[in-house]
Amino acid sequence: MLYLLSKDSLTINSLADNFDMSRPAVSKHIKVLYNAGFISIQDIGRERHCILKQEGFNELHKWLEYFDAFWGSKLKSLEALLNERTNKK
Amino acid sequence: MAKIIQHQFFYPNPPELVWEYLTKPELIAQWLMKNDFEPTIGHEFNFHASPMPDMDFDGIFYCKVLEIVPFKKLSYSWNFGPGDGSFTTSVVNWTLTEKDNGTELLLIHRGFEGTNNFLSMFNSMEKGWLELVQKLLKVINATANGTTQA
Repeated sequence: MLYLLSKDSLTINSLADNFDMSRPAVSKHIKVLYNAGFISIQDIGRERHCILKQEGFNELHKWLEYFDAFWGSKLKSLEALLNERTNKK
Repeated sequence: MAKIIQHQFFYPNPPELVWEYLTKPELIAQWLMKNDFEPTIGHEFNFHASPMPDMDFDGIFYCKVLEIVPFKKLSYSWNFGPGDGSFTTSVVNWTLTEKDNGTELLLIHRGFEGTNNFLSMFNSMEKGWLELVQKLLKVINATANGTTQA
């Protein structure tokens, strides 16, 4: 289930279509995942959508944000250094 | 979220000078981090930062020079982890383009692959394995539910 949700958010019904399980059994699984904090559930229109909560277990997300800011600030430092160098000439 | 970081800067300095700041350890240290870089393909080197326990980071970026085209291109691997031997791997690419009496510097940091996170485990699994696991799960679920449906 988590694998399917890692590709896209799905309604409970379409999620259930992927498994040979009764609808109540699927709901039970979803409830466990929800309680564990792996997924969130949103009502969109009349459908209930399951969405993977990546931040719960995806360290990479934190690092991508970190490096984005990191490189931005480092490259600005480089700019300052190069400017200094130009002005000294 | 896209697993790619990209920054483009323009510096009013020639590529030769910008290149020095990307390839001379003492100059790199002035704007980036302490390091033992050498402009040789295959050279393994480290960048030294501060450990960040919250991020499971031991304070060292473990790198290896992958490509060098003087004054034009430089790339190195960029691996990091908590210090227990597990790493997230990635690649840093620098491209320098001479432009308007200066240098356009493009940084691309990409190819993030974790060894210790759940999503990358799925991503790196061979499709065949995935199908096998799904079949296995179906059998287990069918058994657990006491049903015999195929």
